Amino acid sequence: MKIFKSIKWRLQIWYGLILVVVLAGFGFTAYQLERGRLVGRIDDELHRRVGILANALHRPPSRRSPGDEQPFDRPPPGQFSEDGPPGQNPRPPLEFHLPPEAVGLFGTNDLNNFYFIIEGRNGNELARSENVPQSEVNFQHRFNERKNVSNLDNLPAPRASLNFQDNRGIFERLPSGETIYVGCSVLPESRELKMTKLKLAGFGGIILLFGFAGGWWFVSRSLRPIENISAAAVKISAGDLSQRINVAEAESELGKLALVLNSTFARLDAAFTQQKQFASDVAHELRTPVTVMLTQTQTALNRERSPAEYRETVEACQRAAQRMRKLIGVLLELARLDAGQEQMKRVRFDFCRIVADGVELVKPLAEERGVKIFAELSPLEITGDTERLAQVVTNLLTNAIQYNKPNGEVRVKLASQGGLAILTVSDTGNGISREDSPHVFERFYRGDKSRTSGNTGLGLAISKAIVEAHGGAIEVSSEVDAGTIFTVRLLS
Amino acid sequence: MRILIVEDEPDLLRSLAQALREEGYAVDTANNGEDGLFNAEGCDYDAIVLDVMLPKMDGWEILKRLRKTKKTPVLMLTARDQPRDRVRGLDTGADDYVVKPFDLSELFARLRAIIRRSANKTTNVIEIGDVKIDTAARNVLLKERPVELTAREYSLMEFLALHRGEVVTRTQLYEHLFDENESSLSNLLDVHVSNVRKKLGAEFIVTRRGHGYCIE
Repeated sequence: MKIFKSIKWRLQIWYGLILVVVLAGFGFTAYQLERGRLVGRIDDELHRRVGILANALHRPPSRRSPGDEQPFDRPPPGQFSEDGPPGQNPRPPLEFHLPPEAVGLFGTNDLNNFYFIIEGRNGNELARSENVPQSEVNFQHRFNERKNVSNLDNLPAPRASLNFQDNRGIFERLPSGETIYVGCSVLPESRELKMTKLKLAGFGGIILLFGFAGGWWFVSRSLRPIENISAAAVKISAGDLSQRINVAEAESELGKLALVLNSTFARLDAAFTQQKQFASDVAHELRTPVTVMLTQTQTALNRERSPAEYRETVEACQRAAQRMRKLIGVLLELARLDAGQEQMKRVRFDFCRIVADGVELVKPLAEERGVKIFAELSPLEITGDTERLAQVVTNLLTNAIQYNKPNGEVRVKLASQGGLAILTVSDTGNGISREDSPHVFERFYRGDKSRTSGNTGLGLAISKAIVEAHGGAIEVSSEVDAGTIFTVRLLS
Repeated sequence: MRILIVEDEPDLLRSLAQALREEGYAVDTANNGEDGLFNAEGCDYDAIVLDVMLPKMDGWEILKRLRKTKKTPVLMLTARDQPRDRVRGLDTGADDYVVKPFDLSELFARLRAIIRRSANKTTNVIEIGDVKIDTAARNVLLKERPVELTAREYSLMEFLALHRGEVVTRTQLYEHLFDENESSLSNLLDVHVSNVRKKLGAEFIVTRRGHGYCIE
């Protein structure tokens, strides 16, 4: 079911269950305490009455006076049978008079309707209050069952004694042989307990309701960051990579998660933007030669041309096509390097020789530009791909010559330092401005926004890719109008 | 009509200039931003074809600086086709935008359009009395019959027609009909004017002595 898969609902259900258990435990305890209190109170009352009756039973007759008879003349709460119940053998009557202080304690004027039954030594009933209820038909039976037990005080109430319409009573056998039974209705207590039960249930319900509402609010509140995160993630998966999660509480666990996700999104965004930029740059680089070919051919075809003009057009188209071919080749190479398909050969060779070859290769270009090359090389064995590293060397040298001043200098130095082969190529050119230098290894990046140099703008990007594929590093430091130094570090 | 092309790709610059010259325009060229701005500020071109990516100074910068002094119609030429770039170009003051690679015919049409707009004309057809000039097809009808004009004659007549009612000085005509490489002989203009009059009627072009020419 969907509802059980939602964290919010699961938390809510667990929380609700715990709340219900706690409330139920609390309510049960409160109910039991209240019940105990009520039973205790009734038992105290019953004991008090038994005590009074016992005293009255053994009061010396001399103290009795006609005035004392008065309670019995009024509508009597108790009836005294001097002869015992009909059908029983008459015995010497035991005189019993309900003492005046006990008159108010029995009878229907009390809610609990206390009543008593007194039995003589032989089991004959001596006295019984008028209000002994019909439901006490079993009384005689219980009484008879119990009276032979030696210690018949505090006879426990029947189990259901406190149930509605039930009674509670206690026996006491006096040392003189009489048995006193005092009982009462527990109707008021039953009602009170019922009320307590209702109140507890009511309060419990209200607390549960508030608990649920509070829990819902709290859970929603604590899960809101997750909703924010998922909303942002949805937008991002829909293609809007600029989305970020709003991080309000950076210190909480979710805040940290959001920060981590945000940095991931930022990296994705950057990679994506770079990719898009690259694609757009490729398109841009290809557009210019295509435009050249289109305008050249359309112009040429506008009217009849001389063979020389056609030749010129064809040559221009060829130049454009060659430029595209060069660009495509370089792009393919970069793509392979990116994909890691271009396996670097691992050959042990003298890097010094490769650098010297590179210097020889670019000498004609240097002479053409009037640039002098100074090489300071020491033999140095390294492991790597000779062809690729030679490409890096020529790239750096060509750059150093092309961006040099007329009659400038290029210095090449190869040295070993701390287990690394360090190649530096420095020129005396115009240098790279501070804002450009972090970008020189980016694809198609040119400080000078033009295409006149005839380069693809990918040379340094490729050099970097090759050096890094060898586990090395390449960096640039430059000073405007003083020159630029490229440093390549390779494991030797 | 005199046009400046600022473009750093030599093959493209050459073929564009040739094509536009063959269309009857006088064409000046510049292959970097600084020269381009210098030319654009120094002469009243009828239109400028401006590449965005240029050495020394890019197209945006040229446009920004040029707009401080001149209203010359500018057609931007660029390889970037993002709406962002186009919006930027138009907002900086470019009159139109062509994305590389383009068709020459489209480039010509857009050039004609921006020139026409700068002369406050809405259609390609200008009617003056019996003469009907179609600036798109570059042909002229006199009483519904086509008239053969040389490219130069057509340019002269078109320029005067676009500035109908205004007196156009000889200097202005020289500036708009001949590019910087042509040695403008002083009587060459008179020859073209008289040829046009022969073909379209003597009253078509009026001479204002000491001032210049005018189509009324």
